[in-house]
Amino acid sequence: MIATELIATDEHPLTAARAALAGLVPMRISEAETFERVYYDTFDGLLYEAGLTLRFERGRLILERRDGGGEMISEAVNGPLATPAKIEALLPGHMREQLHLLVGVRAINEIARVVLTSSTVAVLDELEKTVVRLQVESPAGMRGRVIVRPLRGYQRECKRVTEALLDSSALALAGRPLVDEAVLMRSGNPGGIRSEVDVELYSQDPAAVAVSRILIRLADVGEGNLPGVLANTDTEFLHDYRVALRRTRAVVREMPGVFPESRYRWLREELKWLQTATGEVRDLDVYLRDFEELRELAPKALQADLEPLLRVLEDRHGQARATMLADLGSDRARALLSQWRELLEALATMPVEDRPDARTPIGELASQRIRKVHRRMVKMGKAIEPSSPPTDYHELRKKGKELRYLLELFGRQLHDPDVVKPMIKALKGLQDVLGHHQDREVQIETLRALADDVVQQPGGARALMAMGALIERLEHDAEQARGEFHERFEAFSSKEQRRLVKETFSR
Amino acid sequence: MVLATYNIKGGVGKTSAAVNLAYLAAREGNSVLLWDLDPQAASTYLFRVRPEVKGGGRGLVKQRHPLEDLIKATDHEGLDLLPADFSYRHLDLALDSFKKPEQRLGKVLEPLRSEYDYIFLDCPPSISLVSESVFEVADALLVPVIPATLSSRVYEQLEELGGRGAVGRGNTRLFAFFSMVETRKPLHISVMERLRRIHRLDVLGVGIPSSDDVEMMGELRNPVAVFAPRGQAAIAYQALWSEISRRLLDSERPAGR
Repeated sequence: MIATELIATDEHPLTAARAALAGLVPMRISEAETFERVYYDTFDGLLYEAGLTLRFERGRLILERRDGGGEMISEAVNGPLATPAKIEALLPGHMREQLHLLVGVRAINEIARVVLTSSTVAVLDELEKTVVRLQVESPAGMRGRVIVRPLRGYQRECKRVTEALLDSSALALAGRPLVDEAVLMRSGNPGGIRSEVDVELYSQDPAAVAVSRILIRLADVGEGNLPGVLANTDTEFLHDYRVALRRTRAVVREMPGVFPESRYRWLREELKWLQTATGEVRDLDVYLRDFEELRELAPKALQADLEPLLRVLEDRHGQARATMLADLGSDRARALLSQWRELLEALATMPVEDRPDARTPIGELASQRIRKVHRRMVKMGKAIEPSSPPTDYHELRKKGKELRYLLELFGRQLHDPDVVKPMIKALKGLQDVLGHHQDREVQIETLRALADDVVQQPGGARALMAMGALIERLEHDAEQARGEFHERFEAFSSKEQRRLVKETFSR
Repeated sequence: MVLATYNIKGGVGKTSAAVNLAYLAAREGNSVLLWDLDPQAASTYLFRVRPEVKGGGRGLVKQRHPLEDLIKATDHEGLDLLPADFSYRHLDLALDSFKKPEQRLGKVLEPLRSEYDYIFLDCPPSISLVSESVFEVADALLVPVIPATLSSRVYEQLEELGGRGAVGRGNTRLFAFFSMVETRKPLHISVMERLRRIHRLDVLGVGIPSSDDVEMMGELRNPVAVFAPRGQAAIAYQALWSEISRRLLDSERPAGR
């Protein structure tokens, strides 16, 4: 049974409700209570996406369905959450379990706060039983609301009351729930800040126009995530920041003819610098996140000896963050970001003399590029043998990422989705294996690089021995991944696939 | 978890117990259903619900209408009621028309088990197909006993019920508790002592005192915890519920933990 939410157009909601129902049904009105309500969600609106709201009020933390389907979980708590809040900070229980499933590692932020006065109107039958419950809310600075909460077994009465309320000129169906209005009032976005690029493209758009729109969106995503990166709110901010950056670089690299020649090299170098400046922290974020899993790969008897390694990793992480923050706050970074923006804003209208592809229709340019990258990938992949050095796999993986970004940014919009979707899927399959392999290689390299620091720690010698055993295991895993790679690559580079690519990306 | 308040005698506090315990269980945050099986519809009355069930008792056991359509929310959060209807006086007849009559109630109740944390059955005072069915479906029987001179028959019956160790399917637990206790009466004290000594009978530690508050329930049409939360009766019911829910959870845990 779904609750119906009505908004009071100009009157006080309680006055409006009483007027609408007077003479129709007996009512009992509770005392009004005034309290503060705080709403929460992740940066990227994971709860919103799941159709839920999380709020604190009157000593309880409540997870509720947005569609009026009712409260899912309600727990007594000491006070509002100290934000940004990690799930681990909550007391163990049903709420924490459920939130963990919904948000994972993402921190929860306050998205809106309202002070409101609330009273309950119980609509009674002739036995003085409550048959419908109305929750009447007056949030400060916003229009009031009446929420009709049906009671099981009394649907007819609920319908009658709802109709009477809607008949009143003072009440109308609420277009959006209170939480969304409160978020909009403080210039937020109810669905959070997503990192998806959903820019609409048309095949005949000049490439400079299409590319600038995509890159501006990517710059917005990066900018949106930057505060979270600097504050280390959770690890996803840096991840999303880097993905936006990588996608940007893929476009710049594959579509040079859209950019002024004189700026091109500077652009590529600076963007690369920015990527590198954030790389170590990301690697260590992942390392620390997966540390326990990694530990399990070592021989059981040696697992406890790895503590000194954890300490070194944590130290390194701290140092890497300090360096990254310095880089991101540097003049160089500032110059890059502001000049990049300027360039993007002007990209569509700048002179085209040194930009051969500026006016090329994007459909054509994207097709060309996708075909080219695909061909290159097939060539690189074919040249790889089980004995090839890890760097070959790594280069292929990078190429694969580029292809995927091109498909995601351009292919989805401009070409046959029935072809693009499975292609992206197959590519992801290949990327997974390459990624697994790469992860192992990075882990091995990091272990080797940290050896000197680890040995200096108390318990370092034993840790080193455990690390050695771990490296052996990781190398074995990496080798297995290499074996799997060939299988997946066969599927990806089959004649059939190549023909399909040629056909689909022909304009 | 299905709990039933049962006693072959009437007027011993079955309905008061069912209503108050169900209310307390819901107040803790559980989702609770109280099913009034007594054609007198006393608990239905106490929750201000009209004693009508679409299709009557017969329709109910024949599953003519989905149960969701028959259930009513009470005024109390988390507590729903499946009302009684005067036609329930023929419930035995309706059940008898089935092949395995004592299992029929269980079948009807089955879909609700996953929806509610606790289902309380307020049983009519009788020995009949209805009570046999309740023994089959209930996880625990709660038997209120007034500690006045018990006719030796009732005493024997209790002993026998307890002696089966388990009633019904074999895993229904039986808990007796004292009801309408007047501690100033030496008779009550001696009867309680005597009953506690029956090894085969599980007598709960908490007894419900005889109380005006419980009488007032009929007038005020609310559980005692709502209108007299600090009275003796409310406190006793709370303690009783705590004891019952704890005992039930303990019995759910596998041995050895």
